[in-house]
Order: sequence, then C-alpha cells, then structure tokens
Amino acid sequence: MKAFLEKDRLIPFLNTLSRQIEVIAPLATEAGAVYSTWQGQPLDLRSNPLSPPTEFLLPHKETLFRYIQESGRYTFKEDSIPPRLLFAIRPCDLHAIALLDRIFGSEPSDQAYFRRRRATSLVVLNCTNRGDECFCACLGAGPEAQDPCDLEITDIGDGYLCQAETPAGVLILQAAFNLLQPAQLEHDQEKARRLQLVEDAMPRDRSYHQIRQAIERADWVALGQECLGCGGCSFVCPVCHCFNILDRGVPDGERLRCRDSCILSGFSRLTGGANPRRTAGQRLRHWYQDKFEDLPKITGLPGCVGCGRCHLVCPAPIDRSDLKVESREAKI
Amino acid sequence: MSEYTPMQAEIADIDIESPNTYLITLKLLDETTDFRYLPGQFVMISVFGLGECPISIASSPTRRSLQLCIRRAGKVTNAIMDCLVGDVVGIRGPYGNGFPLHRMMRDVVIAGGGSGFATLRSLINYISDRREMFGKVAIAYGARTSQDLYFMQEYKSWQRAGMEVAVTVDIGDELWKGNVGLVTGLIDRFDLNPGSAAICGPPVMINAVARKLMERGFHLSDIYVSMERHMKCGVGKCEHCTIGPYHTCQDGPVFSYDQVREVI
Ligand SMILES: Cc1cc2nc3c(=O)[nH]c(=O)nc-3n(C[C@H](O)[C@H](O)[C@H](O)COP(=O)(O)OP(=O)(O)OC[C@H]3O[C@@H](n4cnc5c(N)ncnc54)[C@H](O)[C@@H]3O)c2cc1C
Ligand code: SF4
Ligand code: SF4
Ligand code: FES
Repeated sequence: MKAFLEKDRLIPFLNTLSRQIEVIAPLATEAGAVYSTWQGQPLDLRSNPLSPPTEFLLPHKETLFRYIQESGRYTFKEDSIPPRLLFAIRPCDLHAIALLDRIFGSEPSDQAYFRRRRATSLVVLNCTNRGDECFCACLGAGPEAQDPCDLEITDIGDGYLCQAETPAGVLILQAAFNLLQPAQLEHDQEKARRLQLVEDAMPRDRSYHQIRQAIERADWVALGQECLGCGGCSFVCPVCHCFNILDRGVPDGERLRCRDSCILSGFSRLTGGANPRRTAGQRLRHWYQDKFEDLPKITGLPGCVGCGRCHLVCPAPIDRSDLKVESREAKI
Repeated sequence: MSEYTPMQAEIADIDIESPNTYLITLKLLDETTDFRYLPGQFVMISVFGLGECPISIASSPTRRSLQLCIRRAGKVTNAIMDCLVGDVVGIRGPYGNGFPLHRMMRDVVIAGGGSGFATLRSLINYISDRREMFGKVAIAYGARTSQDLYFMQEYKSWQRAGMEVAVTVDIGDELWKGNVGLVTGLIDRFDLNPGSAAICGPPVMINAVARKLMERGFHLSDIYVSMERHMKCGVGKCEHCTIGPYHTCQDGPVFSYDQVREVI
C-alpha cells in the first residue's frame, strides 16, 4: 500500500501515531540528532544520529529479570516491554537490525532481544541526502531500504512517498488516513531519481573486498599505538552487540545486561590474567576481522553496514575505512 | 522467561578436594527438569547478587548426581565456596559441545593439568561406566603440589576399571612418594596405540602434550582440547569467548587440536 504525505502534515501524522504508541524519532538537539521519545519536539531528519537506533533493541543497560528471595528460594520476574515505533531510521541501521536478528536468532534464540524486537515497529526513511562518511551502497545496505520493515518513507521534495510493507505498516497508514493522498506514478519516479543521485555520489572504494584487502595490508602495530582503547567505535556501531551480564542487589535485585566492547582491554581476559588479545592492535584487528571475516561466515552478511559512525566518533588519528594512520591535522 | 533466567539448584553436598577447591553436588529444585548433558559440557552458575560464571560439569551423565568442581578464583567462585549445604544457586545450561564420544571409542589418552582436570573427571567416569566401548585408556594428571591433586580417592576405582592412572606434581615434598615433573613425562610410559586424546590444562601444557602425542602417531584431528575463554552468555551472543569464527561456548569448549592450535 502506497500513499503520499505532504511535508506540513508530518507533525499531525506523528501526533496521530504517538497517541497509539511510543514514537522514537530523531530529535534536533544541541548535540545533533538524537533518537528519543517524540512528544512534539523539533525533528532532525537531515543527519543520521550518531547513537544508532539499535540501542532500543539492545539497550546500554537492561534488566534481564528480577530475583526476589524468600526463605532462601527465589522467584523471577521479567519487566514488561512497552510497544514502540522507531520513526525515520535509516536503511543502513535497518540492515544492522536484520543482522542483529540473525545473530540473536541463532539457536537458542535470545528472547531478551526478541521481546523488544517484536514490540518494535520500524519506519524507515530512505536516504536522499548522504552523510560525509556514508558508504552503505558499497556494502549493499542502502541508500534505499534493503531489508524488511513496516513502513518505508522517502523525501521526494514537497512530501513523503509512504510504502507499507507489512500489515502493521498498513495499519499505521490507515490510522492517519485522512492526512494522506493517493500516491502517483510521478512520486515513484521522483523517488527513484533522488535515490539514484545519492547512489551515484557514494564512494566506490570501500567494498567488502576492498576493506578485506585493507585489513590484510594494515599495519596493526601502528594502528594499535594510535588507538586510545576508548571503545567509542564499538558503542556507536549499529552492528556491535557485545554484552556483559551482571547482578545488582542482595538479597533481592536484578540481573542486568550491559553493553560491552571487544575493544576494551579486559574483554577477553581470563581469571588469573591471561589475555588472548593483549594489545590494542590485536583488539582492533579482531574488531575488523569479526566484521569482515567471522560474521560473514556465521550470518552470510558483512558485519558492517557502511554508516561511517566509527570514523566520525574516533578521536585517534586513524582513518577507519582505509585503515591507515592519518595525520593529526586531518582528523581536526 | 528468556534463556538467561536460571534454574535453581540446592547445594546437596560439599567435598573438599584441595584447600581451595570443592566438589559441589547440586540438586535441581524442580526435580522434573530433564537435565541431560555430556562429558565436556559446562553450566553457567550464579550466586544471586554476585553474578555468574562458567563451570565445567565434573560428574558423568552415567551417574545420578550433578557435580561441579570449583576453585577459588574471584568474586563468584568465592561466593559459591562460601555457600553451605542447603543454599540455593542459579544454574543454566548445559552448554557447549562436550567431547565427541563416538569418535573416541578406541585407545584414549586423557591428560589434565591443574584445575583443568575437573572436566576430564566427567569423561573418565563416563568411560569407566561404559568401559567396553573404549580401548586402552591411560590418564596422565599433573598438579602443582600433592595438596592440589583432585579426586585422589577415585584413582583406585579407575585402575580397577582397567585404566592406567599416572600422576605427577611440579613441586615434591616429604610426604609425596610419587612422580615429580611434567605431565608429558608420564605419557612416554603409556603402552597404547595411536587413538584419540582429551586434554585440558594451561596452554603450555596442552601444546607440550599434543606435540608428544603427535610424535607417538596421534592425528591432530583426534586430539581434543577443552579451551577456556572468558564467557558471559554461554549461548553464542555476547562475543566474549570468540576464537576466530568459533564461539567457544557453543562450538567448543572442546575443539580438535587442528582447529585451535594457532591460538593456544
Ligand atoms: C568452559 C569453562 C569451564 C570452566 N570450568 C571450571 C571448573 O570446572 N572449575 C573452576 O574452578 N573453574 C572453571 N572455569 C573457570 C571459571 O569460570 C573462572 O575461574 C571464573 O569465571 C572466575 O570467576 P570469578 O567471578 O570467581 O572470578 P573473578 O576473577 O573475580 O571474575 C571477575 C569477573 O571476570 C569474569 N571472568 C573472569 N574469567 C572468566 C572466565 N574464564 N569466564 C567467564 N568469566 C570470567 C567473571 O565473570 C567475573 O565477572 C571454567 C571456565 C570456562 C570458560
Ligand atoms: S563498522 Fe563503522 S561504518 Fe561499519 S557499521 Fe559499524 S560504525 Fe558503521
Ligand atoms: S574510537 Fe578510535 S580510539 Fe576509540 S577505541 Fe575505536 S579505534 Fe580506538
Ligand atoms: S559466552 Fe557469550 S558468546 Fe560465548
């Protein structure tokens, strides 16, 4: 089902949705675009937020269950998960969600993840404006949505072409039916034209194979010397999903799942101190190897969607796509 | 409830194996649970409020009780060892692949170093109870001192089951009448044909034993190694335990030596 939404009807459209479900949208803040609960605040639909929307599926911290002790025995409780709609997420992040679905869906499937995933509707905004560091087209992740979502919208100038892909997407459009107009053939043509422009502007030198070659060539000792080990790259990457499990509270309390990062020095350290990945260079190499070699073996897809966030966030003079040490000036 | 919600188990018995290692017998509170496992698998055990850690199953599925052999190493293991009989802990699992028993049904060398011997006890008792399915079996076990040797009261029963048992310590003392030296030294004495092997211990020991076995004609892919990696989830999701494309918690902890020799 397709429909056309004029730009000045976007806010009434979101109003209609937010009366039914919590809407998470990219809000304009002093720190740039940030995905957060929309309650009428100004939106920023031009830039892709630095913090990826996957944090609503795998939060930085979540309660796996609560334990309540009574005479030495425990009962367990899970918190209920509120339904949510992620509005205007980008095709690269949608592709990352498709990857997370495969990773968390491997046997035994991770119900803590799917509990949230099932309660989340996805509205994707196709990319008609490319960010400076984006290379999604090289990895087959964008600029047009490549993976299943509920509703796909594309900015075609004076409005959005909306395409429902699932029954949930149709329901979203039906809920706001009085705000919509019928889609025309020209709308489709304009969408195709705009997406082609973005596709044409994409860098062509960062394909899966080119990055694999860069991994082979890279001087990991030199890169390791520059890496600060801050983990920033892994916390903004929409595909990264390492986590830790820990408890808080005695005798009652909660078992938490918190995000972790294989870039951090203690990540694989064993009791007694032995560490299979001792140096920053080894850990950085492992990060790339996991994305470009191991995850493809496990999921069939590269573990990078070309969003460019790791390069944007990295404070070290490292070019994260060529895998070279940069001059410090280039970074500033 | 998700995979991360544990079952509850009561500590039914505690045996002291060494000053810092206890053999703990667990009883699942829900006795209807169908808890089936293989030698070489492990569980995630937790003390609520302190956290979880991976521990190999030290008992054999051929026997009734579920036992773990735990060494004081830090937060969670200390907390378990401070528990009393009757206290409740959380367990989930069993996880991991376990030893490929069907491929080991011929002459077997079992080599353990230090606390790595716990997981091998499961295999040894399994073989002991299914003796006719295996060929000659020889056990080589080394610990730091005689105080650190686990399961001493069981060696006799293993010998009665027709297995050769050789034990050594790194540092001898006046009470110790047995061997002093490396585990590899014990293997030279075994009279058996190249078959399969199971090794668990510190990396240097694993490599030395594997080299020795290869000299004796064992094939790389018949030497099985139980690997230790940092683990958090046990189900292939958290990425703490990766070895290349493998998750040690699911594809391991038992690997054939040719799969992992480069990372030991
Ligand atoms: C497959 C497997 C089987 C094991 N079997 C046994 C066994 O039979 N008997 C035994 O005594 N020990 C065994 N260990 C080692 C045992 O898991 C560690 O000693 C234990 O995790 C230490 O936790 P801690 O909280 O007591 O120590 P701490 O050092 O205080 O741990 C601090 C933190 O680091 C984490 N951590 C440190 N090392 C590891 C690790 N290897 N895996 C997971 N998390 C870790 C802990 O979860 C904890 O949160 C096994 C390890 C693995 C991977
Ligand atoms: S590796 Fe970098 S470019 Fe690729 S998905 Fe992660 S953050 Fe984006
Ligand atoms: S963001 Fe840059 S400096 Fe920080 S851990 Fe990643 S590579 Fe290293
Ligand atoms: S322990 Fe989490 S992936 Fe293996």
